[in-house]
Order: sequence, then structure tokens, then C-alpha cells
Amino acid sequence: MSILNYHHFPIYSIMILFLGAFLTVVFGHKKALRNIFALLAVSVSLACMIALVKPVMLDGEIISYWMGGRGIAGGYAIGISLEVDALSLFFGLLISTAVFVSCVYSIQYMSHDDNPGQYYTLFLMLSGGVMGLVLTGDIFNMFIMVEILTFAAVALTAFRNKAFGALEAAFKYLVVGCIGSTCILTGVIMLYAQVHTLNFAQLSALIPGNLTPATKVAFALLFVGFSTKAFIVPFHPLAADAHGAAPASISVLISGVLTKSGIYGIIRLCYFLFQSMQLGAIQFMLVFIGSVSMFVCVTMALAQHDFKRLLAFHSISQIGYVLTAVGLCTAFGISAGLYHAMNHTLFKGLLFLAAGAVLHQTGTTDLGKLGGLSRRMPHTTVLFLIGAFSISGLPPFNGFASKWMVYQAVYQKAVESGNIGFLLVLIIALVTSVLTLASFVKVSQSVFFGQLPEEYSDVKEVGFGMRFAMGIFAVLCVITGLFPNLVTTYLTEPAARAVFSVGKYISAMGFDSTVADQAVSFAHAGVWAPVNWLLLLAVMLLAVTIVAVASRYDKVSRRTSETVDTKYQLFYGGEKNVYSQVGGGDLFWGFKHNWRHYFSFMHDLHSGVVNDYALWAVVALALAIVFLQIVL
Amino acid sequence: MILFNYIASFFLIVLGFYTIVTKYNLIKTVIGLSIADYGVNLLIITIGYNPGGTAPIFTMGELTQASYFVDPIPQALTLTSIVIGACVTAMSLALVIKLEEQYGTLDTREIRRLRG
Repeated sequence: MSILNYHHFPIYSIMILFLGAFLTVVFGHKKALRNIFALLAVSVSLACMIALVKPVMLDGEIISYWMGGRGIAGGYAIGISLEVDALSLFFGLLISTAVFVSCVYSIQYMSHDDNPGQYYTLFLMLSGGVMGLVLTGDIFNMFIMVEILTFAAVALTAFRNKAFGALEAAFKYLVVGCIGSTCILTGVIMLYAQVHTLNFAQLSALIPGNLTPATKVAFALLFVGFSTKAFIVPFHPLAADAHGAAPASISVLISGVLTKSGIYGIIRLCYFLFQSMQLGAIQFMLVFIGSVSMFVCVTMALAQHDFKRLLAFHSISQIGYVLTAVGLCTAFGISAGLYHAMNHTLFKGLLFLAAGAVLHQTGTTDLGKLGGLSRRMPHTTVLFLIGAFSISGLPPFNGFASKWMVYQAVYQKAVESGNIGFLLVLIIALVTSVLTLASFVKVSQSVFFGQLPEEYSDVKEVGFGMRFAMGIFAVLCVITGLFPNLVTTYLTEPAARAVFSVGKYISAMGFDSTVADQAVSFAHAGVWAPVNWLLLLAVMLLAVTIVAVASRYDKVSRRTSETVDTKYQLFYGGEKNVYSQVGGGDLFWGFKHNWRHYFSFMHDLHSGVVNDYALWAVVALALAIVFLQIVL
Repeated sequence: MILFNYIASFFLIVLGFYTIVTKYNLIKTVIGLSIADYGVNLLIITIGYNPGGTAPIFTMGELTQASYFVDPIPQALTLTSIVIGACVTAMSLALVIKLEEQYGTLDTREIRRLRG
């Protein structure tokens, strides 16, 4: 085979990242060379992934690749393999895109830090780890990649170790992350003890026929292990800590890429290894955890005062949507879930980069201290608003398209199964979306609108490199929102089809498969036309404008901090307020007041003590083991 | 007596988790992580063990149908796992040193600036 044969591309895209990690150590002291190596590595990796779109996504080929030319001997897999089907490639594309943009952003963002050489090394290790995780066809190899990415992520979380809480966040993440990794390793080895193979395809062929108590425990262990990587409830506090403390370019990777690797692991586990998604109980488990993640994290986000911490909770809330949609076990649901996963990477990346831009220019992410930055950073504001509209699900941005698909999938499932519980899920999803919008109104108000504090009056717009990186995400957000049909046809539907063709996955690797591929239909209930909703929004905007103009809307002159203090006017006691604005925290005080018991309960629950989080992990593991022993 | 190995390995894993959950000293948390890791290593080795088997080292021609040896794959896995365990310990201890410098304490109940 020629070295440019596309069968080699998956291993190139992994290797080039690790090679780049090595080279950035060697040339760490030379700034230009180091940046070039890092950019080159991520670009080649992205190019390899894009080159695979045609054979894998469009032609439906499954690439199987044995490392070192080994293969199958005596019916058992010898050696490590890579196996790339449409599902792997979908996640691979997402990851390489996010890594590329984050790398472009880092070059300017990290230029003032100490030791950026080490930063790029860890950055590329993290990227390579996630890339290897989604492309591998060997479950022990997957564990290794999980460890690599966990280490790199922990080290990067603590990278700015002088920053508030960075070390603490890293330590908590390390402890719970290691509990997760231990679970994964134990699960892997228990599967090996039962069926004597580590190859995904062969495991998928052997496990469903011999379910023993040991394999059920292994299922629970692997599930909890991947859940810690996806940060779903009850592991969400770690996400909040780690996202908040890490540099923004790393928050993009942790939220956009690491969580996806966890979701990928859960899909592989439930749909491929155990093929147990037809069971109502497993569907219940995923949908339940997804809905709880959605709701708990969005309410936690409402109570936050730190920009990045707030975004982190929203990130897990959106992962809840993905998990819910994936747990429905319908082709349309998986397509919707993957679409939302993709959009989550794009808009969440954009939002974190915008938060990073604010941090870079002002030195703080405290919502109470910021304000009025739209006048000083207009481009960042526009880019942030695109991200905020996307995550809140406003048409025509991508969040609307994918959330709408998720709602439809849940509704369809409710109709098909006649289970009233799914309607409850639908309501939770809608409420979550509303609360997300509310929360982003608060952020926009606190950071970009309102009055500009005097200390930030000379803040400048960020440099071109950072705006360019944000621009890529913003453009992708708009494109994927405007052309949902293209995205579903060429990206998510092939991936969803791959999830339902386990037999093909097994036989592509050279093993005998008795699993019949399921017929897949992407039909869905109800009207699905985002353009109508865009028109509706336009009409409503027009109506509001007409009403405002007709009632002789009085243009309020722009106030600056030196002028009148309206907020405290009644109680003015002679002292000069430094500035006054409607603070972000004040916007929803009524709602928060009514829910104060819930909020204070949640606040006390997230105590910040690492023992508590470890306890949650162990309890989750125990529950999963008991639950799966009963239902499988 | 292979059963004792299984019991011991799961006991070690549970003991490790118990240590992490109940001990409020950062060093003890790290020790808990290590104990859980040793438990997993013991489990892996036990799974690969065949009573009466020889070491899985053969040169060309020595390997026959009658050869009876322990499973080499878990041994390779254990080596990897041990290396990773050492990395976990090293990295977490490095973080503990830095945390002690910043917070002036090793008590997990006082290292909770990030909460809520």
C-alpha cells in the first residue's frame, strides 16, 4: 500500500499529534518553530480526517487497520487495531476541528504565559489522546488513551497554577478522574476474563451471547468510567472546577472534546459491546441521567457568578440533551443527539473563547465586576452573541436546529412507546432551554452591556488571531444552523446508521457476525422546517419594532458611570457610587428568591470537598452495578 | 487458592475507594488511589494465571501444542497499568506539594474555594 492510501490516514492523524507533542518539547524554547510544529500537527490531523469523509461517510466503508501488520490468528485478534466507521469519523472530525481552532487561538492567548512550550506539548498530548480514543478498535488501547487525556487535561487545568483555584480543581479532577480510570480498567479486564479478547469487534460479537454477572459488573464499571469523562451528573462539579480554572483554549477542549469522548464511549458500550439498547431499562437509564444533567446543571449555572464556571455548567446541561437523545434508541434520536453534540462543540467553543478574550483583556471573569464591554470589544461581543443565541436555541443558529430535532425525537418516542414519561422529558428539555436563554441574557447584561466600570475604560479589542479563531466557530455555527439538511445527510445520518449496523462493524474486522443490521428510518413526527420558525421570529421582531416606533420610542441617551445613579436614587445618602448598573445577578432575583431553598440546597450539596465528590462517584458505581445486575 | 487472590484484589479496590472517601488528608487520598490501583493490578495478574503454567517465554520451535503457560497478555497489561499508577502518584503528589504551598494545609475540608 502506498503511504498516501487513505487506509493509513487514521493512524497518521493520531501519530502526527504525538509527534508534534515530542517536537514541541525539543524546540520548546524557539517560539516560531514551536508554533509552526503545533499548527502543522493539528492541520495535518484535521486534513486526514476530512480526507476520510468521502470513503467512510459517503461510501459507507469501514476502515480496519492492524498495527504492525498483525491480524487474526486462531479466531482471536492478535495485536492492536484501529477501526474507523462513520461514528468514529464523526467524532474525529469534531475533535480535530475543535483542536485546530483552539490551537490557532492559543498562539496569541498563551503568548504571555510562562513555558508555553510545555503548554503545547500537553495540548497535543490531550488532542492525540482523544483522537486515539475515538479511532481505536481495541478496548485496552482505549483505556490507555483515556489515561493520556486525563493526565494531560489535569496538567493543563493546573497550568496557570497561580490562578484562583487552578491547583484545587486539578487535584479534584485527578482524584475523581482516576476513580473513573480505575473503573474502566477493571471493566476492561473483567471483559477480558470472560471472553479473552480486547478487540472491539470481537467483543461485540461475543459478549451479547454470554452475559454473566461478571460482564454485567463490567458494563457498570465501564459506564461509570466513561461518565466521569463525559462529566454527566453526578460528576458535573469537576467540570465546573476544571473548565473554570483551565486556560480558555483548554476549556474548549475539555468541554468540546473530552465530554464527547465520554459520550462516544457510552455509545460504543451500550450500542456495540452489549447491544442492550433495545431494553427499556437501559434507555431509561440514559434518558434519566441525561434529563437530570440537563436540569440540575442549568439551575446550577443560574446561580454562578463566574463567567467560565457558568459556561461549564451550561456545557454539561447541553451534554444532557445529547445523552437523552442518544438514549432514545431511535435512528432519528441518535442523529439529533450527534447533531447537538457537534453544535455543542461549536457554540461552547465559541463561548469559552469569548470568555477567554474577556479574561485576556480585563484579567477577570467575575460577572459582578465586568460590564459594558460591548463598547470596547465590539467584535468579541458580536461573536459571543452568536454563541449565546446558538446555545439558547434561537433560530437561525445551529442550537435551534439540533434542539428542535431533539424535541422531535423525544416526542416521537413518546408517541411510539406510549410512555408518558417521555413527555416529561420533553418538558424538562424545553424548560432547560428557556433557563439557558435566561442565563445568557444575564451574562450578556453583566459582561457586554450595562455600564462600563471605570477600571476597564481603556480595554482594547483582542488581537486578530484570537478573533479569527472565534470567527471560525461563529461561521460554522451559522452554517450548520442554516443548512441542517446538509449536516444531517452527510454527517449525522451516516453516523446514526453506523450505530445500527453492528454486524457490519464486526465483519469489517474479519470476525463472524450473527448480528443482523437493523433497518434504519429517519422519519419523524410533526413539522420540521426551521425556515418557518425563522419567518415567525422575523415577523415578531418586526411587530415589536413597529410597536416601539409607533409609541415614539424615546431614545435614551447613553449614560456613563459619571452621570446619574438611577439605581440608588431614592436612597441616595450623599456618597458617590463608583458605578451602578442592573447587575447580572439582579435580573432574575424574583425567580431565585422563590427557588431559594432549592438553590441553597444545591449550593450546600456542591460543597467543594473532594471526599464528597469521590463519594458520589462510588455511590454512582454501586447504584449502576446493582441496577444493571437487575435489568440486564 | 486462586479465589483468595480475587477476594484480596476486590478488597484492595474497595479499601482504596474507602480511603479516598473517608480520609481528609491529601496524602492519604493519594495513598487511597494507589491502593485501588494495586488492587486492579492484582486482579489483572490473577486473571492471567493458569495453575501450574510456566512463564510464557519461548523461542522459535519450542512452542508446541503441549506447552502450558500463563496468559501473557494480562502481564503486559499489568506493566502498563503499573506505569500509569506511578504517574498518577507522582502527579498527584506534585499537586499536593503545590496545594500545601498555596493553602498552607493538607486538609481536604479546607481546600474548597471552588464550590457551589
